[in-house]
Amino acid sequence: MIEVRDLVYEYPSKRALEGVSLAVPDETITALVGPNGAGKTTLLRCLAALEAPYSGTVTIDGLDTSQAPRQIHAQLGYLPDFFGLYDELTVRRCLAYAARSHGIAPALTAAAVEKAARQVGIADRLETRAGELSRGLRQRLAIAQAIVHAPRVLLLDEPAAGLDPQARRDLSALLLSLRDSGMTLVVSSHILAELEDYCSEMIIIENGRVVGGKPIKVRDDERPHYLIELATARSDLKSFLAGAGVDLVEADDRRALIVFTHNAGARAKLVRDLVHAGFDLASFGLSSKALEETYFAQVSGAKAAP
Amino acid sequence: MNPEFRRNLWLEMTPRRIALMTGVLTLAFFAAALSGGDTTAPARVAVFLYYFIVVLWGARNAGLSVVGEIRDRTWDSQRLSALGAAEMSWGKLFGSTIFNWYGGAICLAVILVAHFAHQGPVAALIDLVYFVSIGVIAQSVALLASLIAIRRRQSHTRFEIFLYQLAGILAAIVVLYIWSAADPAASFLTAKKTTETVVWWGRAFDVRPFLLVSLAAFAGWTLLACYREMRLELKMRNRPFVWLGFLAFMGLYVAGFDAWLAQSANPPSSDSVALRLALAATTFAVLSYIMVLLEPKDRVLYRWIGGRVASGRFLQAASALQGWMMSYFAAALAIAALIWRLATHTPPDIAGIAQVGAALGFLTRDCAIFVLFHTLPGRRRSDFGAVVVLVALYALIPAILDGLGLKQALGFFYPVATDPVWLGAAVAWGQGVLVAALALGRLAIGEGPEVKEAVQA
Repeated sequence: MIEVRDLVYEYPSKRALEGVSLAVPDETITALVGPNGAGKTTLLRCLAALEAPYSGTVTIDGLDTSQAPRQIHAQLGYLPDFFGLYDELTVRRCLAYAARSHGIAPALTAAAVEKAARQVGIADRLETRAGELSRGLRQRLAIAQAIVHAPRVLLLDEPAAGLDPQARRDLSALLLSLRDSGMTLVVSSHILAELEDYCSEMIIIENGRVVGGKPIKVRDDERPHYLIELATARSDLKSFLAGAGVDLVEADDRRALIVFTHNAGARAKLVRDLVHAGFDLASFGLSSKALEETYFAQVSGAKAAP
Repeated sequence: MNPEFRRNLWLEMTPRRIALMTGVLTLAFFAAALSGGDTTAPARVAVFLYYFIVVLWGARNAGLSVVGEIRDRTWDSQRLSALGAAEMSWGKLFGSTIFNWYGGAICLAVILVAHFAHQGPVAALIDLVYFVSIGVIAQSVALLASLIAIRRRQSHTRFEIFLYQLAGILAAIVVLYIWSAADPAASFLTAKKTTETVVWWGRAFDVRPFLLVSLAAFAGWTLLACYREMRLELKMRNRPFVWLGFLAFMGLYVAGFDAWLAQSANPPSSDSVALRLALAATTFAVLSYIMVLLEPKDRVLYRWIGGRVASGRFLQAASALQGWMMSYFAAALAIAALIWRLATHTPPDIAGIAQVGAALGFLTRDCAIFVLFHTLPGRRRSDFGAVVVLVALYALIPAILDGLGLKQALGFFYPVATDPVWLGAAVAWGQGVLVAALALGRLAIGEGPEVKEAVQA
């Protein structure tokens, strides 16, 4: 769906992206993470065909952003980090304008507006002026504008910034439902906790490069992340796990983050083997911070590498 | 209906605003009729109000139409719409000013009725074309100025918005000034005698139809320029043909006024062909200066073009040339033709050839100065810096040299006669080559081998 090859982007005084290559599969939610100034927003804008690369290519659904920017614009939804709304217009008119300007026929506009408003939970506010909405509702309206034309790709830059916990939970549910409806989403954020709930892949950007060179799978229902914790430290934990057929993400003498099969029997056997080997097992369970752990494992690994 | 135009209708044409505009204008015309003393008083007030509403206020709204979106952070969403550049351009230009045009239409109705009654239908029709054109030119120049500024990554302070409005107002003043030369009633503006005919390409034309056609043509070019700038904003590529067409139009249009130049300047050793070539070359040089000042001197683009040239892909490189580059090449071609023409004189006009050659050398230097300043560290005000250097080179240093009695050295700064005759041209080209080499050298700095490979791949 989204393919980036050797992307270089330069501002007049700085090179923001240094040969980025990646592929985002269909119908996934991919997190774009990294520190402030790493190049996340620039990469998103290149994906959205809002910035032309200095060299390299970006293709969306087979269309090159340099060759066919307007066709790509028409099939994309994009929520910038700092977005604006037409405060004087009602929610209905904001959405109607977004729909019509994305090529929705006049006869189909009303239905598209109703559907988008329902999807984001603002169907009861259609006659309210945008300027009268709360921060969370404005965010929902902005997302509704981005999805009113049912794009195949949705790019969101810091979508949960400024939202309260309930609004964040609603946002997670919305993004998952959009993915389930066939959309491919890329979500940029530097707040890892908010991505944990819905992202299946992660791309780490640091200093204009992709850390590790490719997207990392962070959510796999067949092979989830598990966290093992020992009551007593053992220096051979890492080597034991490596020999037990697990994928080690990160480990020290007391704890390990692993990727392992969801199969209950295999998990029970691993726990038995650990206990039989004399490890003082304190806990073994699904990691609730898989994305965060993976991020820091990758970033520290990249820093340790020469 | 164009969605962008409709959105502007929603925002601009509210019932309250419509009622307010209609009421205020009606009161103004009644007041003028009661206190003006004659039946043309409302029309005179209408002319004043038209300029205020459509030109002054309309230029501001047009200049704000895109910049306001950037300021309010809605522009990215608009750029990501499916609207084409033409739809977006006219939706912005006429949508953002629809309220001004509403007020302007009321004023225009009063003006046309008065002129129809006093001077007949032809005068009313001419006025209609004139007033609509001056409004369109003022507003589209303001929009164009704002779009150019956006590409230069400077766009939305109040002062900058005022500058876009000012650009539109200045364009309208130029139109008004030229138009007044053909209008006996307005000749006080120019303090000149009005003229009935204009000689163009050796033929005499009635001045009013000539100016009206010119006005319509320039309004068309301005609208086309807005469309082309909008294409760039929407990340579409512009091919060079339209700018080349504009250069051809401008060269031919200005070259046609050779009779006027021959009367006013009385230049030595010139024939009409040489005069026309000189006018065309001057036009292209002026356009080079305007464009090199206005266009973003984008190092990334220049490196990209350099990469294409280095790998022999000249057509690709040519397709990305900026307006100032094409204008410069057109000036060089016109000057080459002029040199050839002067060489065919009997005896050959060597002094003229040297001066024209020097002029091209100085143009080369000046364009390179603008590029060089954009390659220097801390280049936030690089255009301003380049302008300061040019002011020093063309005004301050020559004034000092003149004061010291070193008139012979002025040839190092202007395309004037020197002794020996080739010295001025040699010095001009020496400066041109030196600054161009410095600029190209600075552009090459910082380009790593991996990017060179990627660009050439």
